[in-house]
Amino acid sequence: MFLPPALAALQFLAALQMVVGEAVAEAEEAEVAGAVAAVAAAEVRMNIQDRVGMGWRSELAGGILSNLDRIDVLEVIAEDYCDGSARLRALQSLARQVPVVIHGVSLGMASTVAIDHKRLGKMARLVDRIQPESWSEHLAFVRAGDIDIGHLAAPPRTSSTIEGTAVNLAAARAMVGSMPLMENIATLINPPASDRDEPTWLHETLASANASMLLDLHNLYANSINFGLDPNVFLARLPAERIHAVHISGGQWICNGTSKNSRILDDHFHDPPDPVYDLLADLAALCPNPLTVILERDGDYPPIDHLLTQLDRARRALASGRAAAGKPVPLHFGLAETVPVQKAQARRLS
Amino acid sequence: MNTPALERFLAKIYVDPVARARFLAAPRAEAARAGLSEGQCVALENIDQLGLEMAARSFGHKRASKRPPSISIGSRWWRACKTLRFKVFAVFRKDTSTKL
Repeated sequence: MFLPPALAALQFLAALQMVVGEAVAEAEEAEVAGAVAAVAAAEVRMNIQDRVGMGWRSELAGGILSNLDRIDVLEVIAEDYCDGSARLRALQSLARQVPVVIHGVSLGMASTVAIDHKRLGKMARLVDRIQPESWSEHLAFVRAGDIDIGHLAAPPRTSSTIEGTAVNLAAARAMVGSMPLMENIATLINPPASDRDEPTWLHETLASANASMLLDLHNLYANSINFGLDPNVFLARLPAERIHAVHISGGQWICNGTSKNSRILDDHFHDPPDPVYDLLADLAALCPNPLTVILERDGDYPPIDHLLTQLDRARRALASGRAAAGKPVPLHFGLAETVPVQKAQARRLS
Repeated sequence: MNTPALERFLAKIYVDPVARARFLAAPRAEAARAGLSEGQCVALENIDQLGLEMAARSFGHKRASKRPPSISIGSRWWRACKTLRFKVFAVFRKDTSTKL
């Protein structure tokens, strides 16, 4: 069909306008959908209540009890309460005043050797008596046969230890009634006979046992520095959706002769270094779950005010991480910092 | 792969300085003597020796810090006497209250 050139131009312009209009409308729709999704995500984050607390130590008892308004949660070491009914009654009394989580250090879950049922039974009785919010243990072995290592040792990172850990965790869940959060450990030795690196082993172990994680950021940092990994890459390779709790602590450099032969020892005698707070902010940006952060201190105790300042710093790191991810600051921070007394009273009343 | 045997071997060289020295002098031979597989023997031959020394020292400190303080024989006798005294008094009080 022949059209005069002017009419054809007009038709072309009209068609062009329609195409452009549709494209603009689609773009606007996408923008609105994106905004709606962002608001929904923000609302989810608004409900997140990150909490920051510290490890209960008898040396800090006075300072802790007089500052419960600034401590959201306390973590107690299970082995301190497995024997002795007087201590257990004291712990029950404490658990009525402040949320408590239980942390085990001697079960040796990450092993191809079956877990000791007597020790597990003690943990089950403690959990039953205290009814903590959660309990946790380490991805470590602590004994082999009749040899007690005395502390947490990194197992060879192999499929055998992944399977052994899953079996032990299933036994723990059956006896205690709930699965422990599992913590990554610090190690001064790269475990021999490993066939995969630590982030891979952690990922596979947690997946195999379907377990949640207590991420110790200083352990992650120390192992990264000691064995040449990038701490940020290490963090990014962990399953963020499984992380529910965090430990922060400090350590020191130790050397064997020359400074070249130096490694970081996770001794819990020092303040968390700056990179640990940076990692905490990064984690808050990555992790979709509310986080319970515990400051660990096992010696060279500073005044309680100093430790409370570190809790506040952890709160700020969490807030900056949540904000950096484009999400509002969790509600809990505002309450914790502006109306501490009312919050503590509300907690006691509830 | 016999991993329980490997865990036991590692625990041994972490806590026993004599076993550790013997192992460091001849890693492969010691690992083979413990019945470990060829792959495990090779891995242990290339062990992180600096880490082994540091870890062993750290574990040693931890074990030492967990040991209960030693009590002298005199203190033990004194404690036993105190306990006995309380038990005797308890029996005596019980008898008295019964009579009353």
